Amino acid sequence: MTELQFAALVDGIAADAQRRDGLLDLLREEHAVYRDRSATAIARMRGWVLLALERGGVSDAALAFVLEELDTGTDPYLVAAAARALRSYPRPGATLVPFVLGALANIRYRDEPLSFAAYGHYAVSATGTSAVRELLATLAWLGRHAKGAVPQLEALHEPGGLPPKLRGDVRRALQAIRDAGQGAEEAGAVSCCGAQAPPPKCCGSAAGIDSVLLEDHAGDRIGFEAFFGGQPSIVAFFYTRCDNPLKCSLTIAKLARVQQGLAAERVADRIRTAAITYDPAFDLAPRLRAYGQDRGVRMDAGHRLFRAVSGNDAVRDHFGLGVNYVGSLVNRHRIELHILDAQARIAASFERLRWDEREVVAKAVEVLRIGGR
Amino acid sequence: MATKRKAAKKTQRAPKRQASKRGASPTTTAHRAVAITADARRPPKERTAAAAAAPLAVCESEDDFQAMLKVLRDGQAPVKVRLAALQAIQAASFSVLAFEGCRGDYIATLRQVAEDPDPELRQRVLGMLMREKDGFAQKKLLEGLHDPDKALLPPEKALQLLGNDVHADTYEVARAIARKPPNEAARREALRLLGADATAAPLFEKLLLDKDELREIRQIAASALYALQPDRMQKHARDILLDKSDYDDIKATSLSALTQLGDETLSDDKALMKSVDRFSTGKTTARYKQTARRFLSKYGR
Repeated sequence: MTELQFAALVDGIAADAQRRDGLLDLLREEHAVYRDRSATAIARMRGWVLLALERGGVSDAALAFVLEELDTGTDPYLVAAAARALRSYPRPGATLVPFVLGALANIRYRDEPLSFAAYGHYAVSATGTSAVRELLATLAWLGRHAKGAVPQLEALHEPGGLPPKLRGDVRRALQAIRDAGQGAEEAGAVSCCGAQAPPPKCCGSAAGIDSVLLEDHAGDRIGFEAFFGGQPSIVAFFYTRCDNPLKCSLTIAKLARVQQGLAAERVADRIRTAAITYDPAFDLAPRLRAYGQDRGVRMDAGHRLFRAVSGNDAVRDHFGLGVNYVGSLVNRHRIELHILDAQARIAASFERLRWDEREVVAKAVEVLRIGGR
Repeated sequence: MATKRKAAKKTQRAPKRQASKRGASPTTTAHRAVAITADARRPPKERTAAAAAAPLAVCESEDDFQAMLKVLRDGQAPVKVRLAALQAIQAASFSVLAFEGCRGDYIATLRQVAEDPDPELRQRVLGMLMREKDGFAQKKLLEGLHDPDKALLPPEKALQLLGNDVHADTYEVARAIARKPPNEAARREALRLLGADATAAPLFEKLLLDKDELREIRQIAASALYALQPDRMQKHARDILLDKSDYDDIKATSLSALTQLGDETLSDDKALMKSVDRFSTGKTTARYKQTARRFLSKYGR
């Protein structure tokens, strides 16, 4: 399928209210349509889907995909498309504001002129929109719910804040928030983080996982069941060539903090931790070791960084991983961390949005306690 | 004529000198430099020199920045002047925080100039865009590799620039070019790009072992194999080091592989030790000798 055919497919689905849920399927990273595409092609494609969501209104099920882009997106087109899509969500609320402000901070120094005129268009003039402009428009749309963002917006309006040419957009956002008045601030708001993507098609019981052979950061090999069976574990996914600092690098740095949290709870020897690379052919043991060391990860028999030397597809199926590839290299992935019980079954998952280390530790301790009863 | 040249020289130095004498602010200095660069009546040499002397503050004034971008876009202006304007803007862009307000116009202008009739300007601009991992530039370069009629740059340059983004979909086209290269430079760049493709290790192993292959290609193969499958590189490293006729750079890469990945049994390999010893004292560069000494200090007795 060419990119233009894909765009036509998206437009067709978006135009048909009965089929609109199909757009969510197209946002799944593992969808075959993303196989062997460059990361920039995927940005164009996913951006087009987000813009199509905007036309029909973002549903609760779609919200996680929109917030994910605001939370960890570094591509201006995708962030801008997510900001636009969010404005079609029927229940604006204060819980959405931190995502918009976070995206503003993430994207402002990599912003670029954008065009939504047609699929695959790139702006050759800076007179139109940009990611920062779309985010400011979204804050304006949030109105009274964004009251808490006023101090930050005022700072952005001062010298040293956003560039003068964007201050008009900041003023409009401030005006919209102030004009919206006090009202019932939380009326209609939903908890953003409770918004979950539909469950993956598979997980937790795929056949073949027993045959997976893992190699760790030290070059030692161990079967999947041998490592993950017998006691609960926390497993995150990453790859060393990831160029989004808010995804893999941060995930592994946070895994180190999770390990510290487990130690503080005195369960570090009863709950294992692991990080498995999406890119097993490239992430050889020395690369895994260096990546873990650089981010302060504890690495020993119970806490390891792995690559699958055989059965990588079984790992993908078992966890329902949200990842796709161009050749052997990852072209897009989501954030994903799972807590496994002592039978190596998935007991809890943290997906798409950045997870909180304390929540992960607390959930893992809960799984440990339930298993001990 | 001589008086004219003298006067021109005087003006060329003007922005810097006036700044230091009168303590002018960087913005004022930038304004003067931009005014000279943008003045089509002045000689190209003077304009080029003024652009080269423009301080990073060129982005502090919207008018100055727009004037500089206009010079860059101006197809009637001499290419040297446009290139100097480009360099001044690029230098300003390194100051990421101060450049925030200029970035939009900068990216948009680079995209406009990416298809300029001048090949040097095109190449420089596409290089800058690709360092930003710009989707527009990537799309144009890939189109040119698939369809030479649309090519904005020669294939070897396009491949080199695409290498800035490991996530670009370039491996397939690089493999095709490596198989049937339009020229030797394109083949070299295609192989360099494939050096990050984990599935290309067998290709590099074959190239490394082919002693009839060009030295540079074998060196690319040695480095790529070492990065992708170090155990395979280690397997061949000993033979390469024992071969007196093999090239020093390939031996040095082999030594690095052995130094990093070898074990204590290497210490008992007398033939290897003798060969490395010879390499460390032979007619080779200081850098390679250092590589040999590192190996000997780890495994030598």
